[in-house]
Amino acid sequence: MSREYEISNRYAYFQKRIRIAAVVISMAGLLLVLRLWTLQILEGDRLLQLSLNNRLRLRSVEAPRGLIIDRNGEVMVENLASFDLYAIPEDMPDVEDTARRLAVILQSSPDELRQRVSQWRGSQFEPVLLRKGVDQRIVTAIEEQKIDLPGVGLQVRPVRTYPNGGSAATLLGYVAEVSGTQLQSKEFRDFHPGETMGQAGIERRYDAFIRGVDGGEQVEVDALGRVSRLIRQVEPQSGFNLHLTLDNRLQRAAEEAMQGRSGALIAVHPLTGEILAMVSQPSYDPNQFSQRLTSEQWRKLITDPHHPMQNKGLQGQYAPGSIFKLVTALAALEKGAITPETKFSCDGAFNLGSHLFHDWKKGGHGTLDLRQAIANSCNIYFYNTALKAGIGEITRVARELGLGAPSGLGLGGEARGVIPHNTTGSQPAGGWYPGNTVMAGIGQGMVTVTPIQAVMMVSAIANGGTLYRPWVVRKIETLDRELIEEYGPERVRKVDIDPDNLAIVRDGMQAVVNEGTGSRAKIPGLSVAGKTGTAQVVENSGSQRGDKRDHAWFVSFAPADNPQIAIAVVIEHGGFGGQVAAPIARSLLEAWFKLPRDTAPTHAAEPEPAEGD
Amino acid sequence: MSSSRRALSIIDWRLFAAVAGLAALSVLIIYSTSGMHASLARRSLYLKQATWAAMGFVVIIPLCIFPYRATWRLAYLIYGVLLAALVLVAFMGRSGLGAQRWLSIGSFAFQPSEFMKLSLIILLARYFEDRKEQLHSPQIFILPILLTLVPMAFVLRQPDLGTAIMLILISASILVMMGLKIRYFVMLGTAVSAVTPILWRYLHDYQKNRILVFLYPDMDPIGVGYHVAQSKIAVGSGGLFGKGWMAATQSQLNFLPANHTDFVFAGLAEQWGFIGSLGLLLVYAYVLSRGLRLAKDATDLFTMITSFGIVCMIAWQVVINIGMVTGIMPVVGIPLPLLSYGGSSMLMNLLAVGLLLNIHKHRYQY
Repeated sequence: MSREYEISNRYAYFQKRIRIAAVVISMAGLLLVLRLWTLQILEGDRLLQLSLNNRLRLRSVEAPRGLIIDRNGEVMVENLASFDLYAIPEDMPDVEDTARRLAVILQSSPDELRQRVSQWRGSQFEPVLLRKGVDQRIVTAIEEQKIDLPGVGLQVRPVRTYPNGGSAATLLGYVAEVSGTQLQSKEFRDFHPGETMGQAGIERRYDAFIRGVDGGEQVEVDALGRVSRLIRQVEPQSGFNLHLTLDNRLQRAAEEAMQGRSGALIAVHPLTGEILAMVSQPSYDPNQFSQRLTSEQWRKLITDPHHPMQNKGLQGQYAPGSIFKLVTALAALEKGAITPETKFSCDGAFNLGSHLFHDWKKGGHGTLDLRQAIANSCNIYFYNTALKAGIGEITRVARELGLGAPSGLGLGGEARGVIPHNTTGSQPAGGWYPGNTVMAGIGQGMVTVTPIQAVMMVSAIANGGTLYRPWVVRKIETLDRELIEEYGPERVRKVDIDPDNLAIVRDGMQAVVNEGTGSRAKIPGLSVAGKTGTAQVVENSGSQRGDKRDHAWFVSFAPADNPQIAIAVVIEHGGFGGQVAAPIARSLLEAWFKLPRDTAPTHAAEPEPAEGD
Repeated sequence: MSSSRRALSIIDWRLFAAVAGLAALSVLIIYSTSGMHASLARRSLYLKQATWAAMGFVVIIPLCIFPYRATWRLAYLIYGVLLAALVLVAFMGRSGLGAQRWLSIGSFAFQPSEFMKLSLIILLARYFEDRKEQLHSPQIFILPILLTLVPMAFVLRQPDLGTAIMLILISASILVMMGLKIRYFVMLGTAVSAVTPILWRYLHDYQKNRILVFLYPDMDPIGVGYHVAQSKIAVGSGGLFGKGWMAATQSQLNFLPANHTDFVFAGLAEQWGFIGSLGLLLVYAYVLSRGLRLAKDATDLFTMITSFGIVCMIAWQVVINIGMVTGIMPVVGIPLPLLSYGGSSMLMNLLAVGLLLNIHKHRYQY
């Protein structure tokens, strides 16, 4: 009885425990429901976003950059397809065998390839880069043996290519990935890491036009990064083509004429200001940048004492030397201090107070008028002229002709040059003395100009007094030749100098070539005007040896009565302008007038032919 | 003929329908989450799962007809055979995923450890039934504890932490129901935490990681924590109504590893959202409530313990599995009953529910 009771009592106890278990289980269930509520309802939106981020990837497809084309339609910058060799480990059933076959094609060891695959730390489905930029022979071989090379593939990548290598490199610029520091600045906030952009010259200045619009692919990927499907695709839009005023044939001729000497050469059309050739040497190969420059290459480029990365035509500031005598002459004529007939006698030395100034020619030039003084570049004559004109008028004429201010080409980093002033601005410490005026009058001392300023000044003298803004891009077109932008000649000013005085100076410049210091620029059958300059390098006074030699200048235009081309050449440490720079200008002029041309200027600019003459 | 017809008529068809529904759901989820998978083998897993489920039903329907009391007689034999099988697994079993769990008989590979769970329930049921006169004595609990720890040791050695934990939880649940004082567990817990540093050394790195990641979820977001993070994203991204059939990107695109086995719930939650998850929990709740009712109404200890043990087994698995998928429990590798892919697990759970059906059918005969 008590046993029966005890057992039934036990059963009641068990049933109570079962009820408790039911409650515990229900509470656990409720806990799960609460948890699901939290995840799915309260955090649902956030987690949904996370799941979308998981599966969607945006792959950008780089737009091909626009071409850069010279005035005759010759392509100066283009994009070439570069082939990168890849392998997808997952798709390689026999790495050994594939590596062996590839090694034969690449003429390398199979171990290297095997290691690249085995040491790959990414997903088995991601392509492993085996070799960048393989040549056509390898591409063909791999295409032919495709069946025997499972998992091996080629990827095409557009590579910015400069077929002429270093030619016009500093003008054209180069393309490279946006740098870390650039990314931090506001100007580049629309760029993302790894994106390429024009980094110098025209590539940089017109990047917005050239770069095009990158396309994109929104793809769905799985956990291993494999693309499972394409969701949305936006085709890349090719960049616009840039048509330059540059004549690549002339550019090549100019580079040849320079014979690898360090310096700058600019040729423009004096009636429009359009740039025909622009050389800065030494140069660099912009193709190096397209193919990821090594740090060693970069270091070499930026530590080179000859500054290959610099566009010396725009950034190089040189004492003008005797080419500045054109300014001095004009200033004196403008002031009425001299006439073309004014004569000074030159015995090789000039006394100013206690100071003795020398002529470059020992014994002097004898007595000369203005034309002869320009032709022979007589220092003594221009010491006198400078003193008569006064520094104020010299400064005014220099500024009228565009010196001391950027030319306005619009490519970055253009230097201003230095034009002295007796009251404000550039002044030697201790004040302005007549001695300073004398030195400035022959383009030494407190005067520097850039080659672009020199050539624009000469153009203004040649065309009868219009200072143009130099320009190099004449139009921008779409791939379908639809015009986006068109550029033309742009006057900076009609210079406030009597055209008659300009004619007098032009006459002097012809004499320079015909009978004076620039005779090496003489071309039979062509009336060439020019002016030589030999600019002392400040660190040494006139030693003609080694790297401290003077800078050799020659500015020129031709034909003298109907100018078609104006040239400025400066050869760093070249020596005498007449000996070194003038022959270069002559080669260029010869080349230019031999070249077949339909109509010389692209724009029938309002012709302002040289008056007088 | 008429007796078998009568037998069918008193089968708990609603419980049967619930279980059949879960098995069918399992096939659907596995199918819908493997659509984009690269390997053909993975894509055809749902067919294998369907085969397992079908086999399970073929087995349990005739099992309903024979009185479940037969298991009482076979309890020690089944336990002995499975224990021997576990020993065999330890020495010559097939391994997969870094653990040695499977035993191949011909082309049929099964996990003895799965069946050990059910066997343990029946064993304990018989043990206490046989000793229902001595239930007041505390010594009665010593042998059951040993009978639990021996197979558990072999399972842990495989290593299969999840199943080992399940064996302990099942056994402990039954023992507590039988009157084992909770304080013994407190004492046991103290003892366990004392030896934990020693046990820790025997855990595999992946097991250590899982426990660490549970304790410090932010420790390793791309390594082991990745699993839990992706699983939470999958569940949460389902929202209220889910992304819809075949639209579970998390599972389909393999962001979520093991999405057909231990993490199968994520696939359901992602496709059918909170509503679907709640529905699933309700189905489980129904199954459990039927089992609890059988336990409560049982007139003998064997029936009571068997029903209760099965209920606890399913309940623990559901709670721990969904708990780990939703990130509130450590990832210990416990499958979701009837839903997770796996032949042994599917078969064992169907057998367990088959036992419940059998108990229901024969409940008035004792």
